[in-house]
Amino acid sequence: MPIHLIFRNLVRHKLRTALTVGSLAIAVFLLCVLRALVVSLDAGVRNSTSDRLIVQSAVSLFVNLPASYVGKLKAVEGVDSVARLQWFGGYYQDPSSFFAQFGVDPEKFLGMYPEFKIVEGSRERFLTERTACIIGRQTADRYGFKVGDTVPIIGTIFQRLDGLPWEFQVAGIYELESIVWDETTIFFPFDYLEESLESGAASGPPGSGVIYIHLAEGVNPVNIAAEVDGLFENGPQRVQTTTEAEFNAQFVSMVGNIPFFVTTIGGGVLAAILLAVINTMLLAGREQRHDMGVLKALGFSDWAVFGVMLGQGVLLCVVGGALGIGLAQLSSPEIAKLLGTMFPGFEMTSEILTNACTLSLGIGLLSGALPAAATRKLLAVDAFRRGA
Amino acid sequence: MSSTAATRTVVELNGVTRAYSRGGERIVVLDALDFAIEEGERVAIMGPSGSGKTTLLNLIGGLDKPELGSVRVAGEELTELTPPELARWRAGNVGIVFQGFNLIPVLSAQENVELPLLLAPLSRSERRAHAAHALELVGLADRASHRPGQLSGGQEQRVAIARAIVSDPTLILADEPTGDLDRASADSVMALLARLNEELGKTVIIVTHDPLAAASAQRSVHLDKGRWKSDGEGA
Repeated sequence: MPIHLIFRNLVRHKLRTALTVGSLAIAVFLLCVLRALVVSLDAGVRNSTSDRLIVQSAVSLFVNLPASYVGKLKAVEGVDSVARLQWFGGYYQDPSSFFAQFGVDPEKFLGMYPEFKIVEGSRERFLTERTACIIGRQTADRYGFKVGDTVPIIGTIFQRLDGLPWEFQVAGIYELESIVWDETTIFFPFDYLEESLESGAASGPPGSGVIYIHLAEGVNPVNIAAEVDGLFENGPQRVQTTTEAEFNAQFVSMVGNIPFFVTTIGGGVLAAILLAVINTMLLAGREQRHDMGVLKALGFSDWAVFGVMLGQGVLLCVVGGALGIGLAQLSSPEIAKLLGTMFPGFEMTSEILTNACTLSLGIGLLSGALPAAATRKLLAVDAFRRGA
Repeated sequence: MSSTAATRTVVELNGVTRAYSRGGERIVVLDALDFAIEEGERVAIMGPSGSGKTTLLNLIGGLDKPELGSVRVAGEELTELTPPELARWRAGNVGIVFQGFNLIPVLSAQENVELPLLLAPLSRSERRAHAAHALELVGLADRASHRPGQLSGGQEQRVAIARAIVSDPTLILADEPTGDLDRASADSVMALLARLNEELGKTVIIVTHDPLAAASAQRSVHLDKGRWKSDGEGA
């Protein structure tokens, strides 16, 4: 097969080839980014473990659980530890500078989440100081927070009666071994919040938003969840106990069917580029009909000319795909910074890039196969007769 | 037609009929035609447009198949060959020169001439050497790196001839090789074909409208409406 003809024919119309390669590169880049968004939404669900349960009000996530529930949950057989968690809902400097803040039981929470690694500062300080906090790496980098800094947070749900912002001292900066949370959140001791409310220094709803349960080894999470739900069947607040995966999945569904929406857009992009490349290749096939007839007249087989046309489609798409993949890979750290708050698990995984490679190759094979099949059937005499 | 003791029949057509359907109508292009050419001959096939000259050349070159009759060329019955076998046979036995030159525009003269050699078990350097030699034979060694668009019509046709002879075929088929050329270029091309026939012993079949071109052949035959004209010597 005259392989050099594949390349030469592609550069026959440089502008057309450049535009097609450019379109492909942009489409593949978009597909990679969209896929990474979908994957990031599911990251929390995927990385969840079965030894953590979340207890929330059966009415709504926004209805707090009474403080007395903690003791009762600890007493359930099979429960290893219990940690309260409260959504704080404040903001730093400006409401648009959003990152999540949670009040937690530090020791219990970190105990059930070994994925949290304190990479700077002191874990001990977080466990012992009332106003200490730990900050995710992304937020620390975004605002330049360092260990020892004071972070003022203006409360919305919980407001200090003196009108001042809440102040938390950065005890440590954490990174995650897997995306069970995100690296944008600030965690501070729940006790600090509780004491402020009880002492009248701040206003806000009592209790805790959710209670995390860490199960003892070998315990069936379904049985415990059912037992916990039954325990508060007649209590002041009925509860709904779910596994961590189910709980995280609720959050994904709360923001609407984004995966479906994003996947649909990606499908549209894919279909559009596929049609564009097929059109380019059909044009190329028509232009090269005469040349392919010459090759056949010289003695090249039907499959050899098939290969020349198919090779052009594949080469075109592989180059375009490689550019798009490279662009996605290079720009992903910047995109992660931009979208970090909304899509904390944003990452250009090797699986996404591999799929993009396969997709590019597939588009190439499909777009090249159509003119290649027509060329394979072409008779040299017909090529000369019609091309004349 | 049978061969003599001294020469070998290279082309032998017996009762060849070829027809096309156009608009539901059956058009007979070649009608029970017999034809024979001896090895080393230089034959001109003449006739008006639509007389079946090119169809006849396509059948001899294994580019087309007849509806009826046999086509035996260089010892092979072409009607019995499958398309892949025909392609292989063409690569080894026939060099074709077309009226429109039919060079690949994105390849240089050298690369165009090298094309048939890609089908032969040759190394790259051997292919280059063979192509350079063929270009030298047609007097275009200094135009090897030029693309067809950078050559004159006469030069393009000479590159096409170099491509036709580079694999050392038994038979050279030329379909209106001077059709698109001015007189001087046409004479030069015909002289080149004559030289290939006389010096290298190639059997050359030329389809032409041009009486001057035909005059340079050793034998002329005339086709009209798919049959030999009475003064022809085809059968």
